[in-house]
Amino acid sequence: MSDTALEKRVMTTDQPERTRSGRTYIPAVDIVEKDDELLLMADVPGAKAEGIDIQYERGELTLTARVDSRQPEQTNWLACEYGVGDFVRTFQVGEGVDAARIEAEVSNGVLTLHLPKAEAAKTRKIAVKTT
Amino acid sequence: MDLVPWRNKRRRGDRDTGEHPLARLRDEMESVFERFFGNPWGTGRSPLLSPTAAFPQLDLTESDSDLTIRAELPGLRLEDVKLEVSGNCLRITGEKSAEREDQGRDYHYSERQFGAFSRTVQLPAAADPNKVDATYKDGVLTVKIAKHPDAKPKRIKVRNA
Repeated sequence: MSDTALEKRVMTTDQPERTRSGRTYIPAVDIVEKDDELLLMADVPGAKAEGIDIQYERGELTLTARVDSRQPEQTNWLACEYGVGDFVRTFQVGEGVDAARIEAEVSNGVLTLHLPKAEAAKTRKIAVKTT
Repeated sequence: MDLVPWRNKRRRGDRDTGEHPLARLRDEMESVFERFFGNPWGTGRSPLLSPTAAFPQLDLTESDSDLTIRAELPGLRLEDVKLEVSGNCLRITGEKSAEREDQGRDYHYSERQFGAFSRTVQLPAAADPNKVDATYKDGVLTVKIAKHPDAKPKRIKVRNA
């Protein structure tokens, strides 16, 4: 396990100007392929269901999780090892995903997205008959 | 999007060859120690001494009445985290068990952290280890430790003598 992987990654790519100030972080994700869907799990600690926005547009899936500051402006910090800010990440989604049926849920700071495979992209098992 | 984990490539040991072999060996040894124990002026991060290498990362704040420790631990089950106070040390241990029992599944990305973790925080003398309250919400663990009432700042009046 590399030590850098333990740190929250700050978004540094060129992004359009945002209306909320503060740093933006890239959530760590796992993407698992199952027979009938892709499962995306993203760590978004501090985000509530109402603060999560998922947009699918022109083959791009963008996750935005709003995370409010946990401390007032005037805080006496003894240690500050990580930053708190919104999570944003964009993925390219191929034709193989049925965008209309994407579902999402959040629990304990983990956002789970179900990306059902389009009928055409599903793996089919073809039975071999003996003649 | 850049999916390659960010990593600092510069190492002090990677120097041009051409020096005396012994000098090179010395440099190599130095760089091994620096990489391991951390070099305050170097670019590498130490796996042992750097606070950023520890997991979970902690935020520690102080108010008039209490100390608050916050850790981001998404996807934890309550029974998997343990808090202990012994003496003036608060120990957070636990194990984030992966939801991935079925190893046969096909992973495209695997960035999230799983496994056992442990952090020990030395509490300041003002903290009262008998009054600790811990909550877990939206993947964030919050531990509040009350301060001793006599540790709160007191105003001392200066009188004319």
